[in-house]
Amino acid sequence: MAELEYDTQMNWKIETDEIARRRKLALKQGGADAIAKHHSKGRLTIRERIEKLLDPGSFEEVGPSAGAAHHAESGELIGFDPANFVLGFGKIEGRRIVIGGEDFTMKGGSPSLAGLRKSVYAEELAVQYKVPLVRLHEGSGGSVGGPSGKSPSLPGPVNAPARFRSVAEAMATVPVATAALGAVAGLPAGRLVASHFSVMSKATAQILTAGPAVVARAMGEKKTKEELGGWKVHTKNGTVDNGAEDEAECLSEIRRFLSFMPDNIEQLAPVIGCDDPVERADEALLDIVPRDRRRAFDMRRIIQSVFDQTSFFEMGAGYGRSQITGLARLNGQPVGVWANNCKFLAGSMTADGAHKARRFMELCETFSLPIISLVDEPGFMIGSQAEREATIRHGTSAVLTAAMTTVPWASVMIRRSFGVAQAAHYGPEGFVLAWPSAESGPLPVEGGVAVAFQREIAAAPDPEARRRELEEELAARQSPFPRAEALGVHDLIDPRQTRLELCRWVDRVQSLLPALLGPTRFTVRP
Amino acid sequence: MIKIELETGGSVWQVLTKPGDRVEVGDTLFILEVMKMEVPYEAPLAGEVVAVHIAEGDAVEEGQLAVEVSD
Repeated sequence: MAELEYDTQMNWKIETDEIARRRKLALKQGGADAIAKHHSKGRLTIRERIEKLLDPGSFEEVGPSAGAAHHAESGELIGFDPANFVLGFGKIEGRRIVIGGEDFTMKGGSPSLAGLRKSVYAEELAVQYKVPLVRLHEGSGGSVGGPSGKSPSLPGPVNAPARFRSVAEAMATVPVATAALGAVAGLPAGRLVASHFSVMSKATAQILTAGPAVVARAMGEKKTKEELGGWKVHTKNGTVDNGAEDEAECLSEIRRFLSFMPDNIEQLAPVIGCDDPVERADEALLDIVPRDRRRAFDMRRIIQSVFDQTSFFEMGAGYGRSQITGLARLNGQPVGVWANNCKFLAGSMTADGAHKARRFMELCETFSLPIISLVDEPGFMIGSQAEREATIRHGTSAVLTAAMTTVPWASVMIRRSFGVAQAAHYGPEGFVLAWPSAESGPLPVEGGVAVAFQREIAAAPDPEARRRELEEELAARQSPFPRAEALGVHDLIDPRQTRLELCRWVDRVQSLLPALLGPTRFTVRP
Repeated sequence: MIKIELETGGSVWQVLTKPGDRVEVGDTLFILEVMKMEVPYEAPLAGEVVAVHIAEGDAVEEGQLAVEVSD
């Protein structure tokens, strides 16, 4: 008996029991009712999301003890509210990441004191351990009552570290991928877009700078969450890169994105085995670009044909639609892909298309991914709407971004390459190939003729006929051969050889990639 | 039933189908002219054209309903 008492005093069983109890209570999240309500809306809890995204059993939680304990007057533990932000390490395809997300079942994801601390820590951990960061968002920002729901405590000191420094630092150091899986408002919405890739669930997510109540009060505008910030709004304006049908598809898009990415800027993107032959020549490329210059063609079909089969992962398909951007592989090497889509506003450089292209180039530069550009650029978008959108500023921003990149570029002139805008599609010291259908110059024949031959056209008996005649005359002069003769391109190629030529180029630039590692002169900004 | 809506504004250059026509996947239904570029719209499925809401020469807007095809 005496010996037993001695044991009780000397070991830590009481505390370890309480640790176990607290862990168990923390896993209850907002309680059975809150979880059932959450499920009934077709949404998973943050813990279920994390489990679904990660390799089985790989989650290692950070700060599981953070939260608020409740005690009876006797001192006995009667409850424990965990921090409403779940954070930890885990693995995707065996590669470590940092993962975190708000717990909507507690205070609707509006940060508790411990929740806020953990959420802020996510970026710092990813930067410290140099591993990709994934945030799964559903929640709102602070409330006027302050983080704990009580009256605001002392404001932070003036010399506190800048709150968003770590967010920017993460963007410059490791791949950041985010998903909006429910309503995401305020601060979490800001963090959602502070990423290299973001995706929203069409079935369950809305993204709101401020929710309906705040909007109604301040603006007198009565809108639902879906009307304000549903997928129809945000996949078309570039707030998120991609829209996915549901939560599960969001998670698989994140896995897909990360498969192209290195762990951090000190590493190269992972090259995987490739069973698609580099010599594969697609006969369809011989006539995919119509000889009739006014006929559009399907650029995505060319992308599918040239890159490793099924490797193309498009980012931002819903906005800036005259430009196509994404990631793909050539003989297993991850590359950035940028192409014009002539089916949308003739593939011209619009303001939003230029913004999308700039972010894409910044992504490739940050993570040392070679860029493949398939060019069919008629020039900056023109007209009064384009002027209102400051197209020339956004377009020039893309042009100068291209000029400042240091990653290797291969550009294939598929068809048109005109104006100032075309300069954005070629990197410094880039490798340039041309298809026989390539045409280039200061501006396309159609616009150029109207200006340069204005008087002659006006004086003709049938001005319209004369204009067409001149256009055809000049277009016929656009032979691809003089460009190759003058070494204006590295080579003029049979379109069916595009894959082979680009795979050979990718092999040649391997020796250049290691020198690109480390911090870049510019990084990605939302 | 598939509703084919316009991806961009522009003008309708050619309408190559009419209600009652049988179409196969990839058949060109109509061609829009946008920024001096002819943009063909193809049938995404085999079926029957039920309605055509555009006519040659129409000035059209993004999102406008153009053709309905039933499978």
